[in-house]
Amino acid sequence: MARHLLETDGQVCPFPLVEAKQAMAQIPSGDELVIDFDCTQATDSLPRWAAEDGHEVTEFTKRGAAEWTIVVRKG
Amino acid sequence: MAAMIITGLLLGTVLGFVFQRGRFCVTGAFRDLFTLRSSRWLTAFMVVVAVQSVGVFALDAAGVITLAPETFPWLGTILGGLIFGFSIVLAGGCATGTYYRAAEGLVGSWFALIFYIVGAAAFRKGPLAGTTEAVRSVETQTGSFQQLTGLSPWVFVAVLVAAVGVAVRHHLRRESRMTRFRLPATKTGLAHVLTEKAWHPFVTAAIIGVLAILAWPLSWATGRESGLGITGPSANIGAYIGTGDPELVDWGVMLVLGLLVGSFIAAKASGEFRIRIPDATTTVRSIIGGLGMGWGAAWAGGCTIGNAMVNTATFTFQGWASLVFMILGTGLATKIFILNHRGKGATPAATASPVTLTPVG
Repeated sequence: MARHLLETDGQVCPFPLVEAKQAMAQIPSGDELVIDFDCTQATDSLPRWAAEDGHEVTEFTKRGAAEWTIVVRKG
Repeated sequence: MAAMIITGLLLGTVLGFVFQRGRFCVTGAFRDLFTLRSSRWLTAFMVVVAVQSVGVFALDAAGVITLAPETFPWLGTILGGLIFGFSIVLAGGCATGTYYRAAEGLVGSWFALIFYIVGAAAFRKGPLAGTTEAVRSVETQTGSFQQLTGLSPWVFVAVLVAAVGVAVRHHLRRESRMTRFRLPATKTGLAHVLTEKAWHPFVTAAIIGVLAILAWPLSWATGRESGLGITGPSANIGAYIGTGDPELVDWGVMLVLGLLVGSFIAAKASGEFRIRIPDATTTVRSIIGGLGMGWGAAWAGGCTIGNAMVNTATFTFQGWASLVFMILGTGLATKIFILNHRGKGATPAATASPVTLTPVG
């Protein structure tokens, strides 16, 4: 049960989501992907993608002004 | 009369706030069809069209506004639509998206916005206006579904509302079976609703639809006989900067300036404003995308708002053809620039050197 970090700060949408999907495909089920992002639209698209693809959001926090971290456990 | 253009600033401010808080992005709506095979945001977009359609034809019937028959400049609409649709992917947002992202502090969107204004001014007012005139002179006289069929526009309103209703129901049903993950609330009451809560796309869309209806009589009262529009006003800003002609500062210019004000207030109040500097690739793409947006919107006769959202609501061929060709242009650019994207973070840290942040549990 490892955690993996995906740093996408500075990337505009939809790239955080595109990279999150790629990263998720490479980790085993049950592992967690920690995604740092700073594009506003991803506050909608990332949790939505997790729900649609059957993953679980274990943490979702706002780190600061226009900076967020979401932790998704692969389902 | 001149003082009435202030309603443009007010409406633009409210609209900018709603766009930012609702994360309403037309580029995203078109792009999701190709990247996610999802029509959720396109459905929200069509909710705006349907709501507005009901309102606009009601205003027309009541005599508040008068919709005149239009021609269909098909060549410009098709070419411009493709160019615009392609460019919004490069710019990272359509015209409106670029305005509100600029106000969130995204410097890439500042570049896109400046070059969009330059492109729009050049192709509508400046040295390249001749190309726009030439391409748009290729037209058919019949310009709308009601003109072609001789049917009442209300027939089309009914069909549109029914179709959008079915799509909305489909998405709401799907959603009800899904777990929704939200950011934990740190505010309460109105502050939570306005500056924190994630708004449902369909609620945002309904609000935008109502604001788009309001735009018609408010703009009409100042002598600008149309609804929401972004590209014309943006071209006027460019021309005004160059000439200082006060006639150019109309209701539409106030509207787009309001977008900046409203989305800045929304972003700031929600803790979502921060100046963010793009990398080299994003900067170049933003500049090319901005210019292409100005060019495409001039040829097509409007952007995703003026054409795809407003002219669709009045059932003109120009509106619907530009919607279709903008989506095709977006699809092409998405295939080239997004589906081929391989991030350096795509190889998870764990395969090379595991990154364990905190113990799980």
